[in-house]
Amino acid sequence: MKERIREAAGSYFISVTLINAAMLILGSLLSPQQRFGYEAFLYPLVYGLIGIIPSLIISTDKELSVKQAVIRKVMQMLLIIVLLLAFMFGDDPLNRQTIFMAAAVALSVVIIYILVNVIMWMLDARTAKSMTEDLKRFQQGHEKSI
Amino acid sequence: MQIRVKIIQNKETEYIEIGCHRHDDRVDEIIRSVKLHQGSVDAYSGESLYQIPLSDIYYIEAVDDRTYLYLENECYESRRRLYEFEEILPERSFVRISKSIIVNMMKIVAIRPALNGRFLCRLKNDENVIISRKYVPEVREKLRG
Repeated sequence: MKERIREAAGSYFISVTLINAAMLILGSLLSPQQRFGYEAFLYPLVYGLIGIIPSLIISTDKELSVKQAVIRKVMQMLLIIVLLLAFMFGDDPLNRQTIFMAAAVALSVVIIYILVNVIMWMLDARTAKSMTEDLKRFQQGHEKSI
Repeated sequence: MQIRVKIIQNKETEYIEIGCHRHDDRVDEIIRSVKLHQGSVDAYSGESLYQIPLSDIYYIEAVDDRTYLYLENECYESRRRLYEFEEILPERSFVRISKSIIVNMMKIVAIRPALNGRFLCRLKNDENVIISRKYVPEVREKLRG
């Protein structure tokens, strides 16, 4: 559980940063005249929070194969899209503009989700490199002691 | 059962002698423990019993209620439980990497990231075993000595 929370926290802060960037890009393209108050600073935090809910719900202590883990990730991403669209456009009338905005948000979620996982993977790759270096030292030390 | 320790001269070979009324499972258990401490373990392939040097073991896996020892190309079954290996093997180069696997760190070639904060160990025989997220801190600590 501790590891799961640590991972969720890591992905939350990366998500919030990327959501900020996505809001800047999408906002500039779709609604450049829009002006916000200070509450705008809250949106990335709330969206990031919504984004980590599926990873806390759809998680397991079972040892998953790589294929199972990928399927689980895709399910998580779809759930995030559904939750965010419901949160952002749940009360809006269904018209062409809403559908276009929703599609743009869904695409942003896919891009952010992939980026978050790539960044997490890169951080893990750094850890793995450090572990491999420690491993070599351990093996050399162990061989000398025999 | 009384335990006696007798100090012998350096020129004599060290030994362990068991005085018992009959050779039963209890005595076999003591023998297995002593062998394990000495660096080998009893394991079965079919009905045949073998002495497997610990240094030859790549990893130990528990599958259902059985425990298997994986060597470079062979697999043997052990009557010991995974937790029994876990109690004794940390003194050596073995570390638990998941609920069901203990790996010999001397047989790992490289560690790579897998999904979900897990890591993949490539072994010298090109097999891969996964380090679970939960066991990563323990493995790192062991590697750093």
